[in-house]
Amino acid sequence: MKGPKEIFANPRLCTACKTCEIACAVEHSKTKSLYSALAERPQPKRRLYVEPAKTGLNIPILCRHCEDAPCMHACITGAISKTQAGVVITDQDRCIGCWTCVMVCPFGVIGRHLETQKAYRCDRCPDREVPACVSACPTKALIYKEAEDFSRDRRVVVATEMFTKE
Amino acid sequence: MEKTDYLIIGASAAGISAALAIRNNDLKGSITVLTDEPFQPYFRPLIPYIITGQKDEQAIGMLGSGPYKDFELEILTNKRVKNLEPLQKIAYIEEGHSVSYHKVLFATGSRPFIPHEIQGTEAKGVYALRTLGDAKSIANRLIETKEAVMIGGGLVNLKASFALLERGIRVTLVVYSPEVLSQLMEPEDAYLIRKAIETSGLTILSGQNVRSIVSDKRGVRGVVLDSGKEIPCQMAFIGKGVRPNVEFLSDSGIKIDKGIVVDECTQCNIPDAYAAGDVAVTFEPISGQRIVTALWTNAVEMGRCAGFNMAGLRTKYTGTFGIMNATQIANTPFVSMGTVHTKGTDYEVHKEYYKDGYCKLVFSNHGRHLIGVVLIGDISIAGLCRYLIRNKMDVSAIKRHIINRTLSYGHLMQ
Amino acid sequence: MAFFIVFNYCILQRIFAKKCHCDTSYGHIKILHSLVDKFSIKDNNREYMVAVRRRPISMKEDFAMSYHDEQGARSLDPAVQQMIVRAKEKNIPTVWDRYELMQPQCAFGDTGLCCRHCLQGPCRINPFGEEPKVGICGATADVMVARGLDRAIAAGTAAHSGHAKHLAHTLLKSAEGKAPDYKIKDPDKLKRVAKRLNIAVDGRSDGEIAREVALAALNDFAESEIGVKWATTVVSEKRKKVLSAINAVPRGIDHEVSEIMHRTLYGVDADAVNLLIAGIRCGVADLAGCYMGTDLADILFGTPKPLVTKANMATLKADMVNIAVHGHNPVLSEMIVAMAEEMKNEAMVVGAKGVNVVGICCTGNELMERHGIPACTHSVSQEMALLTGALDAIVVDYQCIMPSLVDVAECMGSKIVTTMDLCKITGAEHIEFREESAAQKAKEAIRVAIEVFKKRKDKAVDIPQVDSTVVAGFSVEAIVAALSKIDPTEPLKPLVDNIKNGNIRGVCLFAGCNNVKVPQDRNFIIMAERFLKENVLVVATGCGAGALMRHGFMDPTNVDRLCGPGLKAVLTAIGQANNLGSPLPPVLHLGSCVDNSRAVALVVALADYLGVDTDKLPVVASAAEAVSEKAISIGVYAVAVGLPTHVGIMVPVLGSPLVTNILTEKVKGLTGGYFIVDLDPLSSTEKLLKAIDERRSVLGL
Repeated sequence: MKGPKEIFANPRLCTACKTCEIACAVEHSKTKSLYSALAERPQPKRRLYVEPAKTGLNIPILCRHCEDAPCMHACITGAISKTQAGVVITDQDRCIGCWTCVMVCPFGVIGRHLETQKAYRCDRCPDREVPACVSACPTKALIYKEAEDFSRDRRVVVATEMFTKE
Repeated sequence: MEKTDYLIIGASAAGISAALAIRNNDLKGSITVLTDEPFQPYFRPLIPYIITGQKDEQAIGMLGSGPYKDFELEILTNKRVKNLEPLQKIAYIEEGHSVSYHKVLFATGSRPFIPHEIQGTEAKGVYALRTLGDAKSIANRLIETKEAVMIGGGLVNLKASFALLERGIRVTLVVYSPEVLSQLMEPEDAYLIRKAIETSGLTILSGQNVRSIVSDKRGVRGVVLDSGKEIPCQMAFIGKGVRPNVEFLSDSGIKIDKGIVVDECTQCNIPDAYAAGDVAVTFEPISGQRIVTALWTNAVEMGRCAGFNMAGLRTKYTGTFGIMNATQIANTPFVSMGTVHTKGTDYEVHKEYYKDGYCKLVFSNHGRHLIGVVLIGDISIAGLCRYLIRNKMDVSAIKRHIINRTLSYGHLMQ
Repeated sequence: MAFFIVFNYCILQRIFAKKCHCDTSYGHIKILHSLVDKFSIKDNNREYMVAVRRRPISMKEDFAMSYHDEQGARSLDPAVQQMIVRAKEKNIPTVWDRYELMQPQCAFGDTGLCCRHCLQGPCRINPFGEEPKVGICGATADVMVARGLDRAIAAGTAAHSGHAKHLAHTLLKSAEGKAPDYKIKDPDKLKRVAKRLNIAVDGRSDGEIAREVALAALNDFAESEIGVKWATTVVSEKRKKVLSAINAVPRGIDHEVSEIMHRTLYGVDADAVNLLIAGIRCGVADLAGCYMGTDLADILFGTPKPLVTKANMATLKADMVNIAVHGHNPVLSEMIVAMAEEMKNEAMVVGAKGVNVVGICCTGNELMERHGIPACTHSVSQEMALLTGALDAIVVDYQCIMPSLVDVAECMGSKIVTTMDLCKITGAEHIEFREESAAQKAKEAIRVAIEVFKKRKDKAVDIPQVDSTVVAGFSVEAIVAALSKIDPTEPLKPLVDNIKNGNIRGVCLFAGCNNVKVPQDRNFIIMAERFLKENVLVVATGCGAGALMRHGFMDPTNVDRLCGPGLKAVLTAIGQANNLGSPLPPVLHLGSCVDNSRAVALVVALADYLGVDTDKLPVVASAAEAVSEKAISIGVYAVAVGLPTHVGIMVPVLGSPLVTNILTEKVKGLTGGYFIVDLDPLSSTEKLLKAIDERRSVLGL
């Protein structure tokens, strides 16, 4: 049985337009529409971050929903757990905003909501068929696939490249 | 005599995380967990909420939440181990039971240290906030408390202070060092935190010591400082550090040096005996020094490592930062990790005050390794810094980004 | 790498071989179409939108979907719907396909938070308060949005300025005898305009007066102390004072455009309020350009009088050479019409019954209001006319012409003929138009169409048999003439009396375009239907008029069905007084987009008659499906004149709450007018009705 679909990023296709960041914030707003989300308070927050890797190369970075999530073990109040669907979530009632998870996350993708004093991260858009960022990416740099399929696609590309290089 | 495969003494951070690690790798072995507390395992950092009344016992339980969400584990409460024979592999419990085991984990944690120099610490109303039991007594005494004095400026006392402030108690904190959190940072680093604390209503008396606690038949009445000044209060909190609970091993042959001495795989000097958490002596990854730490996150990490090792997966513990703290004080988040006390050293130090925050970065003498960080306000690069410090990465190429706090995971991918 | 090579090959193919590329570059459209085959829903349009909805929903698609009603139709026009199906069959991409491919559209652009004015950029400001919070130069969101809006206003003004300037040059050439094909058809209008400009008329020939009027017009483009005459002489005294007080009297039409470009340059104006004031001033310059365009076109080609004609695709005739004129300036299209009759013989030689001229967009409106030339289609559906296979050539001048027409024409065997150096399209045939040899150039253009007819005359065509009757030609002069049949001494009195007694609750002007983001004509239809039932007198220009005319709103036989009792009574009375044999149509066609100035003229006349300023009248405006920057500049001058002005499409200002607030609230205190941005046609209508009623109560009605 395949694992859950995950969000992968191809830095070669990323133009750093940041449409994904906006789509994420809009999806996590109350009204879920750009124009009305602008007026909401507290302001909606994006869960993924487009960062420069080096000149000309950018990459959207977001929660990997690690199998053995360091944040989950490090959380001093037991607020972080992994759902059946494989998504790591922070229980907003239990979170006390100590930010230990922020500190141990090797990817730096846990956000601090300074108004509510809670930690938040990518939730893989449970209300959508396809996460908002993936749908929004104009260059298809974000991919929503099971890890097995993603690896297989990569293998196919590699195999073809190996063959045509002759 | 009871028999068990894995005996875990202590049901807090190290003990429960070890149990989970064991169970994930050994589906069949029996695990017995003993605790001398009357309660089911709980998240110790949440006990200030018991004081404020925002959470109850159920809400802070470990089993059923976080990584232990689906973890079923039987805990034997009110069982204190009085001594142990590691070669025979038998543990003796106070009421007369004994348990024989294949592997044992000492996860007995630490207890608050009460300095003998302070007189009157036996009075009613003197607390060292450590256990759920402490929190409950404190909560009960709140009704007759108007003022409280905190002795010691560590994190536990600060957390307790805010819990009390929330209940409307007037709190004074007496600390010997020039600033609070002296264990976690240097005095000038703590300036912003001091400012944040003062605006929250907590009174801080620095450079002072408490000589004695005075009481009457109702309990604590006040504390007396070195200077002779008396501060009236009905509660006194002692936050002067912790001591590892190793007394039960005194004649056992297990090597003890303040705490239980363990190797890189959390194993004691005698085989099949492991130790993790506050009770263990571990080492600081940068200097290699042996240290005892009293931090939940570290205890969990050690406990997991111990659990893997006990279940047969040889796993090295990469050392813990003696200082690795992330929390909020008066709405100001701060992170402190690695080597942050730099006075009198040759380390390369970068300090920067920016709008609403402060950042101190400590690099090794040759400047190529990041060895310590204090972040107040904007802690967004904390996770990445931890990674850099632990893995002793050569940061020459990305140093500018670290100093400007524009570091991101993308930089680590080069 | 492979993709790179294929891509280049496609471009090379385009350049060197005029082969139709329908099947290669747009392969992905085929995939979408094939999805449609899986559904067996009857309604052809619905099929496509359902298929599209099956794709992962993008952020903007959600949004785009919210614009479309439940049926997901792209157009409410049945002729257009038929042609959309044909486009699908022939694999010809349409504006709707390209819109889908463009999703998601950039949220930064959408909210006005993107700036490319300098090479340190491009900059974008995060709309949710995270970094980046300001541009690299330090421009805040307010400044960025204001500067972007100002450039749009300048662009719109420049377009109408160019159009007016072209007419001025033509009038001058005609007056000086250099362009014999152009005559002065309305010397009375010439004299009225001259008098307004303080130009002497007594004892002078038309040519002399025309020359001076033309020179005065040309002067209005450059900077002058006394201000743009076509602005200062066309608004009431009260309004002039209001505009002077806020420094909104333009000093030169082109001068204002140029100053905006300067103002919005890197490192110039960085105060949002100051920028917006300049924008308003430029908007007033746009009014001058439009007004000039109307005046000079009336002088040269005649002031419109009411006439009857038709609209929609059945106006194309299979057995005739069909030429559509598209663009804006009657300088070109009038010549095409004039020569069409002369070219009849040449057409008959190749087997056609004659040359049939139809209109698309504003130049079509110009011809309709003066000559009753039928309208073929408008705006967003311009490509669809070619899909009939019967439209032999589209002759264009400038503005609102989709470059894709060339691709569609190629697939259909038709030709696009460009005529202005200012507007060439790669792949079109260019015949450089000269006023000096206008008639000859027009004939050359018609010949291109005749050639195409020759090739297609034996092929089957697919002309949707959809058309509607249109009564058009309501210039202010015509309206006043019609009213004077009821009251010869005070023609405005019957109109005002009926406003006072509530037979006419108020007036709404529909202007602007059709936008791909809205099912074509939907907003106009919903709003106009409601207004008419509420006895609001509806007038329309441009493609707004186009939308309404194609759905029977300009057919007098629909007065019964569409109009409330009070309005019906008024339209019937005027019709009777003029012996029309029917009421006036439900919606009065005022003309092209520059003819929005006719609406302003009417508003000014009413205001002067009542002795109030123009911001007191129960008159509102709506660009319900706006597209062009011209719509923005017209909207600005509507607000400058004092009208509550509705826009049914999001304007990129939301990124700055300050600018949004100024445009929708604070500007009321400056000019009395304000913008209402509302994407929902029903709630928009309510807001406009409320505005009308507010004005009525202030007037004591």
